[in-house]
Amino acid sequence: MSIPKTLQEWLQSIPNLQMQKRSEQWLQLLCSAEQLPALTRHLMEEEEAEFATLLVEESADALSVHYLFYLPATGNLIELKVEAPAGTELPAISDTVHAADWHEREAWDLYGLRFSGHPFLGDFVLHDDDWPEGLDPMRRSFDGKHRPDLHGSGADWAPPRLLQEEGAMVFPVGPVWGDFNESGLWLLETPGEQIRYLHTRLFYKYRGVEKIAEGRTVDQGLLLAERFAGAAAFAHAWAYCQALEQIAACQIPTRAQQLRIVFAELERIRHHAANIAEIAGSTALSVAKALAQGIVEDLLRLSARLCGHRYFFGVLTPGGLREDLDEGKIKLLRQTLPELDQRMQQLEKHLEGSSSFLDRIEEMGTLSNELARIYGVVGPIARASGRSIDLRRHLPYGQYVFLSPDVPVEQEGDGYARLRIFFAESRISVKIILDLLPFMAEGPVQSPCPIQEGHALSWVEAPSGATFHWLRCTGDGTITRLRLGTPGFRNWHAFERAIEGAAFQDFPIILATWGLSIAENDR
Amino acid sequence: MLYIIAYLLFAAGPLLALIPGRRIPALLAWLLMSSACVLAGIQGVMAIAAGQSLPLITLSLPIIGPFTFVQTPLGGLLILITSSVFAVAIPFVTRDANLYTSGRRGLFLAIAMLTLAGMIGFFLAGSIVAFIFCWELAALAIWGLITFETRQSKPVAAGLLTLALSELGSLAGLVSLLLLASAAGTPQLSGIAHAVPEMSPKLLLVAGLLAFFGFGMKAGIIPLNVWLPAAHGTAPRSTSPILSGATLNLGLYAFLRIDAPIALHQPHLGLIILSSGALTALIGIIYALVEKDMKRLLAQSSVENMGIATAGIGAGLTFAAYGHPLLGGASMVAGLYHMINHSTFKTLLFLGAGGIDASTGTHNLDELGGLMKRLPALGSFFLVGAFAIAALPPFNGFVSEWLLLESLLRVVEIPDIPVRITFALSGALLALTSGLALTCFIMLPGSALMGLPRSPQAANAKKAPLSVVLPMGLLALLALLLGLAATLVIPVLSRLAATLLGTNPTASLVPDFFHIPSQVPMAVRHALDPIGASLGAAFLPLRSLVVMHLDQTPAPVVYAMSTLLTFVVLVLMLGSVWILVRVIRQRRVTRNTLWDAGLTRLRPEMTYTATTFAAPVRVVFQGFFHPLIEENEKRHGAFVLTRSYHQVITNISERLVIRPGIRMALYIASRLARMHKGHVNTYASYILVAMVVVLIIVAGAGTR
Amino acid sequence: MSFWPYYGLQRGITTTAWPDGAEDSAGITPGRPCALQTGHAEEIAAACPTQALKAVSQAGRDGVAVDFSHCIHCQRCRHGDNALPWSTDFSWGAPSAAARPALESRFTRSLQVLYVDAGACGACVNEVRLIDAPPYNLHRLGIFVTATPRDADVLLVAGPITDAMRTAISKAYAAMPEPKRVMGMGTCAIHGGVFGESFACAGGLEKIVPVDLWLPGCPPPPLAIIHGLLSLVGRVTPAALEEQP
Ligand code: SF4
Ligand code: SF4
Repeated sequence: MSIPKTLQEWLQSIPNLQMQKRSEQWLQLLCSAEQLPALTRHLMEEEEAEFATLLVEESADALSVHYLFYLPATGNLIELKVEAPAGTELPAISDTVHAADWHEREAWDLYGLRFSGHPFLGDFVLHDDDWPEGLDPMRRSFDGKHRPDLHGSGADWAPPRLLQEEGAMVFPVGPVWGDFNESGLWLLETPGEQIRYLHTRLFYKYRGVEKIAEGRTVDQGLLLAERFAGAAAFAHAWAYCQALEQIAACQIPTRAQQLRIVFAELERIRHHAANIAEIAGSTALSVAKALAQGIVEDLLRLSARLCGHRYFFGVLTPGGLREDLDEGKIKLLRQTLPELDQRMQQLEKHLEGSSSFLDRIEEMGTLSNELARIYGVVGPIARASGRSIDLRRHLPYGQYVFLSPDVPVEQEGDGYARLRIFFAESRISVKIILDLLPFMAEGPVQSPCPIQEGHALSWVEAPSGATFHWLRCTGDGTITRLRLGTPGFRNWHAFERAIEGAAFQDFPIILATWGLSIAENDR
Repeated sequence: MLYIIAYLLFAAGPLLALIPGRRIPALLAWLLMSSACVLAGIQGVMAIAAGQSLPLITLSLPIIGPFTFVQTPLGGLLILITSSVFAVAIPFVTRDANLYTSGRRGLFLAIAMLTLAGMIGFFLAGSIVAFIFCWELAALAIWGLITFETRQSKPVAAGLLTLALSELGSLAGLVSLLLLASAAGTPQLSGIAHAVPEMSPKLLLVAGLLAFFGFGMKAGIIPLNVWLPAAHGTAPRSTSPILSGATLNLGLYAFLRIDAPIALHQPHLGLIILSSGALTALIGIIYALVEKDMKRLLAQSSVENMGIATAGIGAGLTFAAYGHPLLGGASMVAGLYHMINHSTFKTLLFLGAGGIDASTGTHNLDELGGLMKRLPALGSFFLVGAFAIAALPPFNGFVSEWLLLESLLRVVEIPDIPVRITFALSGALLALTSGLALTCFIMLPGSALMGLPRSPQAANAKKAPLSVVLPMGLLALLALLLGLAATLVIPVLSRLAATLLGTNPTASLVPDFFHIPSQVPMAVRHALDPIGASLGAAFLPLRSLVVMHLDQTPAPVVYAMSTLLTFVVLVLMLGSVWILVRVIRQRRVTRNTLWDAGLTRLRPEMTYTATTFAAPVRVVFQGFFHPLIEENEKRHGAFVLTRSYHQVITNISERLVIRPGIRMALYIASRLARMHKGHVNTYASYILVAMVVVLIIVAGAGTR
Repeated sequence: MSFWPYYGLQRGITTTAWPDGAEDSAGITPGRPCALQTGHAEEIAAACPTQALKAVSQAGRDGVAVDFSHCIHCQRCRHGDNALPWSTDFSWGAPSAAARPALESRFTRSLQVLYVDAGACGACVNEVRLIDAPPYNLHRLGIFVTATPRDADVLLVAGPITDAMRTAISKAYAAMPEPKRVMGMGTCAIHGGVFGESFACAGGLEKIVPVDLWLPGCPPPPLAIIHGLLSLVGRVTPAALEEQP
């Protein structure tokens, strides 16, 4: 896993570029603001790098901005680090790395870091109608304990519009809408019937997790990591624990490693089954929805029987797992899972035989392969649009190094492709678990993980895609920076492009086929 | 005599308006002109009441022929409608005339009065010369009205288009009249009507069609109706009620007057009129649905309504020609009724549109919204107009459209298959039209009055002028009365239909209470009938139940209706429910702000506009509209900065008829250009030759 | 041809008998800690990351009291030497201090619920979505979900009350017709849960609208949600927010 030769040579040819090997896998480049655009363009266009996340850290008089990329072909991490002294601007890279668009908007809202050349800064994480201009909550100087008694523009806020068409309107969906939906606002620009453009206005659920984590202990940080996106609690908790374990250079017992995979894959199946239930529900196919919900409920009960919690809260601990699975539980898993898998496959068969259902999701909410690449979507959404990316394979962690799970790919990028991906991935997950169970190692499930000063980047392929956690803590176990680069944040960004040209009544269906979590995006 | 006084007053009004100042001259002009309208209206009532034609004056002019004016009941009805429309519209006209300088104000009022004068003259015309003369006079005056605000260039184009098409139509009408007159050997219209049975069917068809399409053009009948929305949309706002409520009837009356006698002997003509009417109605309403300019929308809907009235007339003529005068009369009644109704609610709606324009400064529906709160009276009356035009009971539109659809169904009495097919198709088109009209007239008040104001003008709407609101109230009341008292109006219209078709459809109406079995001896039934009738009359005031029978057959009901009774029952039902709710449940009403799904504020740009409301129609009729779409996108990297869509919808008549026509005309003109020498005297001689030819033809027709 | 009804029938009846019968299927609830008389009270209480456990001494007996409104089911007190016993019930709905009386009888068979998400993590959302799934089938109890406050009798809020949702919640509450009740679901809604009060969260539904019923749990399982709704109409006995040893 060493850095490709050609890249190394190219980098060496650049003057004033400091290179630093953080590990065999991880190359850090300290570059200047001017060098940034050319470097990112090269990475994207020549090396086919994937954008991982962008994070800002504050030091005494400057903001250091880390642009994280990885090379799926070789499994390398490339970190571009740029210093932005107070009051300076950085060139926006979002015109070449469009996936960074929302990251830059986020950094502007939360740190007040301006990116020159970005056309849409503002009214993003912090809503203009609610939050005053110029108050940057992620800055050290801002006290995150209480809400300042300041207000935004209130009723003067006007929805963004980019459609120029006579008589067009902005059709709002949300923030409170439908039966049991997460809060978010979708502004559909339309001349009626057809949606010409969609503005996704999220962060109605912004809880400032990254800010409130600062100053808390790493133990409390785990509680946050588990609970900011409960539908993928295990994946995020795992990523968080990995970061801590990296800092402490702690070795995890094999059995714990294996059990982590078991739980993560169980969570993936449950996540996908819940998405399938929503898709069926959005097309008013209530029996299929009920069948899928039955599977979800049974998986939740199985989780609770295995580890005491329906959503795997409190299962992970740095260094391993809180509790082992005894023989009885393993047996239970072995018995239950094939039956659930069979129900899942049956449901898939029935759904594929329902032409009226397929009519409603085929060619619906299509994200072309091209757009998927430009927006750098991750997880099932990317794989449904023909991009075979899976961190379990391309940046393997834990025992996945030995497993290399299959990565299903579909080319169409439409609702049906996503449905097939959800089914295929659950099938693969079942197989991973059942293949693993006979080979469970013996021994403890926990090893000590002492607290140390340091920082680390960790990643997990969460059910909805790649998640990157960046953790920095002090020697006494206080978090100074927690960055949650979630798949939801990546995929919601591209959602606006899948709606274009769709009719009003297709909106909920498209939304369901994307199956995105707002909690995961909003953090 | 009254006519002469009325005419003098017509002239006096505008003259008074020349007096400088604002209030007093306007008031005086208004007083004089409205009393003139009232006088003319009285005359119209008298003409209807007279029940037969009365010659008024005949001026014999050399060469051209006799200039005859005759008072007919049908003409009387139109005079009544026209002068009523003028009477209610005049306050707004004089108010708006004050926006001009006093000289132009006088001119404006004079043109308006000239329109009325021309129209009344036309409705009295008895000879083809008077007919054409008054037609031209009215057409010129209308053109004057449309182009009055010449500062913008659009009205000129629209006015020229109107004039050009009107002249084209007049030419066709003139040819038809000349053909008929020469065949009949008399320039008198009544003489022509008498001579029709002897003429060849071919000639009748040609003349009938020329008259129908020629004069019908003025009523917006296909294929040349594109001028109508263009002209009415750009005319000064105060004249729109007149243009739409009154002048469109000119075309209807013209072809009815010429074609009614012909169609009785040429059944094809009636069928063509019927189907053209139905098609016109559908095309009109489809285009109305995609308009967002209130005036243009209403003008398009006028096309629709003229189509419906035409269809009624066509159906009536066909029935009569096939030997079903009773059904014919009923359809004719429906057609005439619809004409009256259209004048009522369209004047009402145009007044409303004008009033909205006056208080907000815009008539673009996308910029309005939420006016109900600021203009409650105007809004409610406007709503009544919309209900009426959408044919919702108990308002008047319902009566005529329902009568018409019912009559069309009776085509089963005619054995001819092609006739049945034509009727069925026309009925289907009309039914579709009614559905779309409902959509359209939910959209119109919905986007203008409901929701949130979408522009600062709408948010700060001024009080609506009284000169609009009061007449609107009057018209709203009339729309209700015409709906409720249908059974009083129908007999009057039946008598008018009788003068055209020779049979009075309601003469044999009996309130049918007792169905007397046919075994009962004839004598007994005859004795019982009047008892039943008088009992019915006693129980049901105003003869509110109309049951039409076919006379000879054992009394199959043609149709039965009573909007009044329905209304009474409805009021009773709702009233009792209301009382029950009041008595049984202690209801407490809490008022709350609008639920906006938790937004900070529901913004005006988030409410439906006319465009978004009508989007489904646009999508369904995409193929019909054939819109020209321009799409543009500005990008920066993968960012979409702006995206623009521009759709141009061209009226089908312009696309399929006018543009090719113009191309052909240009082609011919380029060929003819060879005749052009450029000498003034050459042109003078052309004109002289043309005039001589025309005069000889007319003279020939007159003397023969 | 659609065989969906047949596929549905094939699964048989999966709906729970609760509240008419007992329900004790495994995994239907994560359970929660019970108060305990113990000598290690201080130790146990200190291990709880959210101060949900309190060492109390009553009448000379030491013990651990559980404050469910803070417990986030972190399972720290479930294992190890000082483990607390865990119950397996789900009747968790507890009246708030300012609770209004249960709704009248005409709501017992027709209760309309409006759900507002105020920053809930996916777990609470997922559990609330399951209440109308066949295993729980909310509708059999005459409880229905509505999307507009105009029809709603109960406002059900989950999450730590994020800033951007405060307006929405108070507007929704104001738009509901009387009589109306409010139910805060999940530990987050009670005190903010792990998120607590911060610049971005109000940390407690009570700061925005009056609350009648608290439903602790992180997340409360579907049956607990149904228990909460039923206690609002007085069909089941509510629980308490605290348990003393
Ligand atoms: S499960 Fe609840 S009571 Fe036990 S330690 Fe965790 S938060 Fe405290
Ligand atoms: S109470 Fe727990 S499960 Fe519910 S939203 Fe809060 S953290 Fe998520």
